[in-house]
Amino acid sequence: MNIKAVAKKAGVSVATISRVLNHPDAVAPDTKEHILKIMESLEYTPNWFARGLKLNRTGVIALLIPEILDMGYMEIAKGVEAVAHQKKYNIMLCTTEEDRSKEKGYIENFIARKVDGIILVSSFLKNSDFDQIKKQDISVVLIGKNEELTGENLVYTDYQSATGEAIRHMIEIGHRKIGMIYGTRPKIENMDKREGFRKTITEEGLNYRPEHIVEEENSIEGGFLGASKLLNLKDRPEAIFVTSDIMAIGAMEKIKQAGLKIPQDIAVVGFDNLKISGYIEPKLTTVAKPMYRMGLVAARLLFDLMEGDREEDGEPQEILIQSKLKVRKSCGHLDRVKEIF
Amino acid sequence: MTLAIDFMGLKLKNPIIVAAGPWSRNGEMLNKAILAGAGAVVTETIVNEVNIDVRPRVAYHNGGVQNIRLYSDILLEEWEREIDIAKSHDGIVIASICAQTSSEISYIAGKMEKVGVDAIELGLASPMGEGLEVMAASAEKIYEMTRKVVNSVDIPVMVKLSQNVTNMSKVACAVEKAGGSAISAIDTVRCILGVDIKGRKPYLATYGGYSGPPIKPLGLASVATIAQSTKLPVCGIGGIETYENVLEYLMLGASAIQMGTALMLNGFEHIEAVKGDLEAWMLENGIEDLSEIRGAALSEIKSFDEIQVEPKVSHLSDICQRNDCEKCVKGCVYEAISKAGCSVIVNEDKCRGCGLCCDVCPDRILELIWP
Repeated sequence: MNIKAVAKKAGVSVATISRVLNHPDAVAPDTKEHILKIMESLEYTPNWFARGLKLNRTGVIALLIPEILDMGYMEIAKGVEAVAHQKKYNIMLCTTEEDRSKEKGYIENFIARKVDGIILVSSFLKNSDFDQIKKQDISVVLIGKNEELTGENLVYTDYQSATGEAIRHMIEIGHRKIGMIYGTRPKIENMDKREGFRKTITEEGLNYRPEHIVEEENSIEGGFLGASKLLNLKDRPEAIFVTSDIMAIGAMEKIKQAGLKIPQDIAVVGFDNLKISGYIEPKLTTVAKPMYRMGLVAARLLFDLMEGDREEDGEPQEILIQSKLKVRKSCGHLDRVKEIF
Repeated sequence: MTLAIDFMGLKLKNPIIVAAGPWSRNGEMLNKAILAGAGAVVTETIVNEVNIDVRPRVAYHNGGVQNIRLYSDILLEEWEREIDIAKSHDGIVIASICAQTSSEISYIAGKMEKVGVDAIELGLASPMGEGLEVMAASAEKIYEMTRKVVNSVDIPVMVKLSQNVTNMSKVACAVEKAGGSAISAIDTVRCILGVDIKGRKPYLATYGGYSGPPIKPLGLASVATIAQSTKLPVCGIGGIETYENVLEYLMLGASAIQMGTALMLNGFEHIEAVKGDLEAWMLENGIEDLSEIRGAALSEIKSFDEIQVEPKVSHLSDICQRNDCEKCVKGCVYEAISKAGCSVIVNEDKCRGCGLCCDVCPDRILELIWP
């Protein structure tokens, strides 16, 4: 079944059918209704491949994320999808596992498949890896900063200052000996968190103690193990900043098993603001990462580029999306009003 | 005689602008407001990430409204279509936008400019959802956000300010310095409308924004301060219901005004009523153009040492007809007024000329005069 047969049966030109498919608003409602009914009766669906060839676009964008089971990346995907759906685009989703060669392989694949645009999340690529993409004139937007990949359109959040805000909040409560359970992944993000931690502790005049920092796998078990190590110290911290909520949940379990109370004996602050963090006991104070919003904005920026909406010589845009400290109970603060705002 | 004004370079048919709010939530509503005679309309505040509405989210009590709706629930992509609808009758459409960083808000501003709005209003003054400290309370933040948006669009940028601020003048000057085209004030005021005594809980589930006639005095003070601090045109907002309220704002320096709550309660047809009354007042007072009265009352705001201290006392200008009214007696903290039946006696030695009795008297037959 092709478009000509539909046009013949409907008694209209092929151009009109094409308009119904591409610019339905430009077709009189009665005509549109009539044609849609005929398409349905003939079980006609457009040949997307042929359509792509003709319009020189495939209607597909690629989204490359480090890890598929991570809630944060899922939220980014949700944001990208919300915009892509509005634009009638489909998404090709791939994972890099923070492996640069795997990422490069995917890029080659995207170019071969002629995707219309690419969103790279926490990319490990370097500027030199981008020559091929540039040649193909494929639009790219990055989510998350990468010092070795500059001059591209970027949507990011500032993990260093977000961590700083969390640590300052802990200091305001009165915690002085603050430890950190640091996840091996995501690498770039967590390096920023570590730097934010170090800087704030130093700036606020506290003693920066490397023995109060432990590095573990980014998992519940990793958090559990990290807390075990910190609890075994002779001079253990009175509050722990954990680089992800999932690790914080593991750490809290260990603290509870050791017969200690959160936050009275040890306070805990996480990072991510997973949905479950608002339901565990005590409710976890954490940093809400604007992942969904970063996905939305990155997709919007990508479609701007693809639609030629941005001036040719326009500087690449860098859009900062702000995170938010979500104060709950595990940090040990006493002002309820902070939880509300 | 004309109601038309020039505001930020835009030619408005009249000074009544429909404010950002649930009543301006989509193209159809905006178009309705334009057809109802609004000089311009402001969209509900557009953001990158839409929020889910809670229920209930609006409460009304004693003439004031508390609202806890967080911004527009329409996606940015959908707003492109909504603005087309809003502009289908050539009305002036202003996009209210909000974000937390200058790069994010200037991105949204650029988007809105491309869609074809006539101006931008930065909505950084919401009393809820953005932390204990309202963004518009910081002159530095306002400067940074305004500057970035002004540099990224070619249409006028108006900045909405909040009454939840310690120094309104400083924030207003920051807008001017950053190159803003106008200031609108005030946004809703952080409130808890009331407590349900039986249920032992507030009417709505969280802090919200207060609007309606009770906030008009706050709006008037803010507008006067802005007008006395900057040369920018001001758009007065807060509790405007009648043509007299419009005149009050204009006389304190506003060039235009915004109405929101009054339209939510009375419908868009209320715009035409206020316009009619305004025209009748202009005719009656021989006013050709509203610019003739703009700021007319500003010079009458004085510093304490400029206020002449006069030995005025309360004086009965007519015969009291109210046998059982004791408002003037109860309302005199100096115990200078006594009353027997309809006979009111002011003890001029005790009267200190505060003026309260003149206002509480239902017939307004007391006035302050030289003894």
